[in-house]
Amino acid sequence: MNFVEGFRLALESIWANRLRSFLTLLGVIIGIAAIISTAAVIQGLNSYVSEKLSNLGKGVFTVQRVGLITNREAFLAAIRRNRKLLPADGRAIIERCPSASAVAWETHATIDIKRGTNEIRDVDVGGITPGILEIEPFEVADGRILAQHEEDGSAPVVFVGNDIVERLFPGIDPVGKDLRIKGRDLRIVGVAAKKGSILGFSQDNFVKIPFSLHRKLFGTRRSINISVQAAVPEDMETTMDEVRTVLRARHHLEPADDDDFTFLTAEGINTLWRSLTATIFSIALFVVGISLVVGGVVIMNIMLVSVVERTREIGVRKAVGARQRDIVLQFLVEAVLLSCVGGLIGVAIAWGLSELLAAYTPLPARFPSWAPPVAFLICAGIGVFFGIHPARRAARLDPIEALRTE
Amino acid sequence: MAPGSDEVIRTEALTRSFPMGSTIVHALRGVDLVIRRGEYVAIMGPSGSGKSTLMNLIGCLDTPSSGQYWLSGQPVAQLGQDDLARIRNKTIGFVFQTFNLLARATALRNVELPLIYGGVPPAERRARAEEALQQVDLGTRMDHRPNQLSGGQRQRVSIARALVTKPALLLADEPTGNLDSKTSAEIMVLFDALHRAGNTIVVVTHERDIAEHAHRIVTIRDGQIASDELRKRPEAIAP
Ligand SMILES: Nc1ncnc2c1ncn2[C@@H]1O[C@H](COP(=O)(O)OP(=O)(O)OP(=O)(O)O)[C@@H](O)[C@H]1O
Ligand SMILES: [Mg+2]
Repeated sequence: MNFVEGFRLALESIWANRLRSFLTLLGVIIGIAAIISTAAVIQGLNSYVSEKLSNLGKGVFTVQRVGLITNREAFLAAIRRNRKLLPADGRAIIERCPSASAVAWETHATIDIKRGTNEIRDVDVGGITPGILEIEPFEVADGRILAQHEEDGSAPVVFVGNDIVERLFPGIDPVGKDLRIKGRDLRIVGVAAKKGSILGFSQDNFVKIPFSLHRKLFGTRRSINISVQAAVPEDMETTMDEVRTVLRARHHLEPADDDDFTFLTAEGINTLWRSLTATIFSIALFVVGISLVVGGVVIMNIMLVSVVERTREIGVRKAVGARQRDIVLQFLVEAVLLSCVGGLIGVAIAWGLSELLAAYTPLPARFPSWAPPVAFLICAGIGVFFGIHPARRAARLDPIEALRTE
Repeated sequence: MAPGSDEVIRTEALTRSFPMGSTIVHALRGVDLVIRRGEYVAIMGPSGSGKSTLMNLIGCLDTPSSGQYWLSGQPVAQLGQDDLARIRNKTIGFVFQTFNLLARATALRNVELPLIYGGVPPAERRARAEEALQQVDLGTRMDHRPNQLSGGQRQRVSIARALVTKPALLLADEPTGNLDSKTSAEIMVLFDALHRAGNTIVVVTHERDIAEHAHRIVTIRDGQIASDELRKRPEAIAP
């Protein structure tokens, strides 16, 4: 008997017991659907993150007091140990790092802003030196961004994110209007293009004001983030080394001391993010692995039942000349096909789910193109692994004994 | 040709016993039987005398407890599983009292079954199965499943299945046991025709008038041959 025959037999048999086959496959279906959906979400997040990071141009890095927060202890330790970064640090970098083509900085504060009866909470107020707009360009929807003379004169001007417009200026053109921040009326000079949200967090809930104004309104004690553009983007390392030397000297660090500041690069963020999602994925893989094993055991069980039910059929086949390997092939193909049908349904569900997630939730799920072939391989493996025992049992049946059963 | 080369079946002191708990059932107690090419043999005997057990051994479906069995001169005991499967597939056509058809498959598929395991390509397989079904007068019922056929038709499907590989030896264990006398008569006409066409046939039966069709009647009692009666000279090997 050849493979085509076995395939045909298996299809007939699965179809003859379709409800049972479907129930049998639930474990595999759920397992495959779950793993691919998880992968879809992570894949979506990954490409989203790298898309977002790609506007951190090539050769750009940021110096921060505290790096990306991955756990509470590391964060607290960094806060305790690391000195604040101050404009003087930024100026020192400008003076003493020849390979940096642009240096700018930004500091942050969070406040609630009211206008008449409207209020918007937890607005990120960024104080920027306008140079940062060359390093990390902003898309402007209306008006213009902040200018250098406004920084120099601490001008009472503000550039606002889209949320501010939507919440505080519904139906009104905000450019030229005033916005009251910390008791000062600031003139709106421009509106940023809408960025949307990441995982439900709005990216448009911000305003930008001149750095010098920020110092006046919020005090001079806040640490700054310094953005640096390397003149030779391919040789960002050299620039980073220069910056490191300057800052270590300014912070009076001994050669043995660790840096008390952190470099952030697009690549670094990406790497961190990916290692984070890889961890999530491997946990998901483990959980789903268990469900796939359970699914496999259920398939094995149903195949054993099937062998018992079809003892007579096996007897007939052996009586007319089926060899052991023919019977093994028949049942193995059936188990593999069964499991692959489960995989197929699982893939279809995962595809539908990732489309739904992408359409109706903040999760930017993206169905991975490797999913169908990988699911196929996994399911074929499950089918072979859990199908071989029932298939062997069927093949070893004694023809006469088999024909005697009712 | 060497003497005995026309022997299809030769058994010597063939026994078969079944351990049943503490006792042993001796179904066959030493059977010596020679059947030559072209013979038409009926095996009779009371219920439980060992007829089916003997047929299963002859058909290579079962293995003897002791004794020797040569099939077309070849000692069967030396054959492996795959060889036995090949013999069941190519050399022997077996007709069962209970038909033993695949319930979910059409008549045509059932008849194709031995050819599938014989590695016959699909087109030829189909043509031969159709031919075999026409031979048993079921050309119009090929797409029917067993439960859509009468008992006699089912038995004819199983005969077509036994014949489709053109086996040297046709074995039938009470082929008419489940059929009325009219249908039985039709089946026996078919067997007579097959015999005239040169097939070697062994039929187990309870009924004297069925056995009368054969040229030789072997009677079994308590697992041994009680009589072996040659009724007339088999036509097929007559000079
Ligand atoms: N698998 C088995 N296990 C135990 N005993 C068996 C088995 N097969 C046959 N026997 C016994 O062997 C004896 C012969 O059985 P067999 O089926 O050959 O009889 P038979 O001549 O074909 O009878 P019938 O005419 O009723 O079909 C019986 O006593 C039966 O009970
Ligand atoms: Mg019997």
